[in-house]
Amino acid sequence: MEFNENQTQTTEIAEQPVSVATPELINGSHALIQSLIAEGVETIFGYPGGAIMPVYDAIYDYQEQVNHILVRHEQGAAHAAEGFARISGKVGVCLATSGPGATNLVTGIADAIIDSTPMVCIVGQVGSHLLGTDAFQETDIMGVTIPITKWNYQITNADEIPEIIAKAFYIAKSGRPGPVLIDITKDAQQKLMTKPFSHKKCEKLLSYRPRLSPKEDQVEAAAKLINEAKRPFLFFGHGVQIAGAEQELLKFIEKTDVPAASTLLGLSSVSVDHPNYVGWLGMHGNYGTNVLTNQCDLIIAIGMRFDDRVTGDLSRYAKQAKVVHIEIDPAEIDKIKKADAPVVGDAKKALEMLLPLVNENNHETWRAEFKKFDAIEDEKITQPELAPTTEKIKMAEVIRTLSDKTKGEAVIVADVGQHQMMTARYYQFKKANSFITSGGLGTMGYALPAAFGAKVGAPDREVVSIIGDGCFQMTIQELGTIAQSGLPVKIIILNNNFLGMVRQWQQLFHQKRYSFVELQNPDFITIAKGFGIDGHTCGAREDLNDSLDKMLASDKPYLLEVLVEKEENVFPMVPTGACVADIRLE
Amino acid sequence: MTTYTICVFTENTIGILNKITTIFTRRRINIDSLTVSETERKGISRFTIVIRHESREAVEKLVRQIRKVIEVLAVFGYLNDDIAYNEIAMFKISTPIGAKPLDIETINKVYKAWVVYWHLTYVIIQKTGTEEEIFEFFNYIKPHEILEFVRSGRVAVSKSPQTLVDYLPEAEWEYYM
Repeated sequence: MEFNENQTQTTEIAEQPVSVATPELINGSHALIQSLIAEGVETIFGYPGGAIMPVYDAIYDYQEQVNHILVRHEQGAAHAAEGFARISGKVGVCLATSGPGATNLVTGIADAIIDSTPMVCIVGQVGSHLLGTDAFQETDIMGVTIPITKWNYQITNADEIPEIIAKAFYIAKSGRPGPVLIDITKDAQQKLMTKPFSHKKCEKLLSYRPRLSPKEDQVEAAAKLINEAKRPFLFFGHGVQIAGAEQELLKFIEKTDVPAASTLLGLSSVSVDHPNYVGWLGMHGNYGTNVLTNQCDLIIAIGMRFDDRVTGDLSRYAKQAKVVHIEIDPAEIDKIKKADAPVVGDAKKALEMLLPLVNENNHETWRAEFKKFDAIEDEKITQPELAPTTEKIKMAEVIRTLSDKTKGEAVIVADVGQHQMMTARYYQFKKANSFITSGGLGTMGYALPAAFGAKVGAPDREVVSIIGDGCFQMTIQELGTIAQSGLPVKIIILNNNFLGMVRQWQQLFHQKRYSFVELQNPDFITIAKGFGIDGHTCGAREDLNDSLDKMLASDKPYLLEVLVEKEENVFPMVPTGACVADIRLE
Repeated sequence: MTTYTICVFTENTIGILNKITTIFTRRRINIDSLTVSETERKGISRFTIVIRHESREAVEKLVRQIRKVIEVLAVFGYLNDDIAYNEIAMFKISTPIGAKPLDIETINKVYKAWVVYWHLTYVIIQKTGTEEEIFEFFNYIKPHEILEFVRSGRVAVSKSPQTLVDYLPEAEWEYYM
């Protein structure tokens, strides 16, 4: 938000006790930046404004240590910080001013809490003497963010800064990660600390003690169920990637020979090539994984939370199966699905402890059952999608061609809607930690800034974002951020001139009453060029190969718009309220 | 509907009440009564929250969500049998000249309630007891005009022999006073 000169600002600046400064004492803003540096922060996504100006003045002095990236809207900062955090495993940091600056972060914060993404948001606040007076750009951001942060805190005293920042990073990163918001009043930024600055990392807190190592008896009980099961079925979620437990998961799968399916956010943790990988779960997941959920005798759920998009109608969900639930957040145990053997702890630790206790096994016959369903799905859906007879290009072929060209090893950032589900279905993930999308919140507009954040966090990897024409226009302004950085983020718009997923639901469940889903779009390529970003449109199947090659070959940001079939539907589909076993193929 | 008493021990910080109550609001659970005060240990607040709910499972889930609040040190959900509990009620009773006088002896001996303030035209009576005892007295005193009535909400202590410090993470906890 723009800085607005007003009476208060001038008075505050005049009150600064500059004259009594002793050399070793620094002000709150410098303390903040030094604390961030001490926490290992190298990148900040932010946007300046009145109540955060002292911090911006301080950042000016630290440009060699901290790379501040100026976004075009605070929501972009939040999603970029999420993308950065998801790919790097580090805490994403964003900085914004008070009032609208802070409220613009809210969608990103809500996204981060539901997708367990570590983030520290630092926002300015009006001077402490103005709190509660409806001062210019004053919002009770503490009150606003209580339900969507893992922790929030208001700093009104410069001396608190190092300790609170250390605590913020510890809380954001440890246990089940999540967003932390720190609200700093302008006077706390300006005033000198009364003691010399020192930053000590936070390693534990009295009131917050996440359990990393599960209890042995829980692990033993889980192992017993796993060893007894005839038709065990493993579900892995985001928790595996967060814990960095991919190797342990692989060892576990190979020793027990269980079939393994992914949640949306678990995708890429196990390669699609792995013989035990049977697909993904949920509303638009695979046929076999959904149907056989209701035929297995044990679910081994690791780092996942039985989202309603995974379970469908809960009263008809896996009633026959026992459940082993490995999960770091104790509040997730029994929240949706009752666990017969809960294991509270970090996925990596839990798998390490479980591994020696489980028997080597052979579940080939059981695993073969998935293949029968795969064959049906392949014939009815996958093949027609990948080799369509339609005149227009279909989303699936774009994704699969991209998958082939990038050998399944790119970082894929999908936005929200049909293109997201198509990406999850048709990109063949072969490398761990490669899929970023807004799963829990379903935030349209997530992908462009998140892809940029991911590229900042993993500059050596190819980052491709897959975005719908509706989503793209929600955070289109971040093209400016990408252009200014020059980072080669690749952007694919799958343009069907519709809010496709809503249209699909209107077609299937609302008698084709297409209520406000058709879009008259701008010329995306002209817009990109206006931002200084190269791009072109691909409208014909025979140009798709070359188009993707051209995009991938570019060492600059690049926008590829693909004109796709207007009214295609994502199948299979478990309609809301249906049972997973009643998944529809058409 | 079963009555549950939820005791929450937290760090005594600004805004913690909001962080606790929003967990109830989001799940559409109404709070019957709520009291907060500092415990015998410095810097630790104790919330006593009374709710009525049909599902024990839902209350257990609620308790686990409250535990997630960073400032929360411990949470316990109790049934009435698990705790000793009481509350205080105050009644402002009209005593106009010429009206039937209050039977102070019955009020004291039968209802264990005490007049704590006398005025020319009214008295203030304080009654400690369970919700039921308070309403019994309420019904007794009702024929006299009740000008004001207030209940403190429940305070409760578990019947288990443990002390507060047993619930808390290991640390040096200074006494309150």
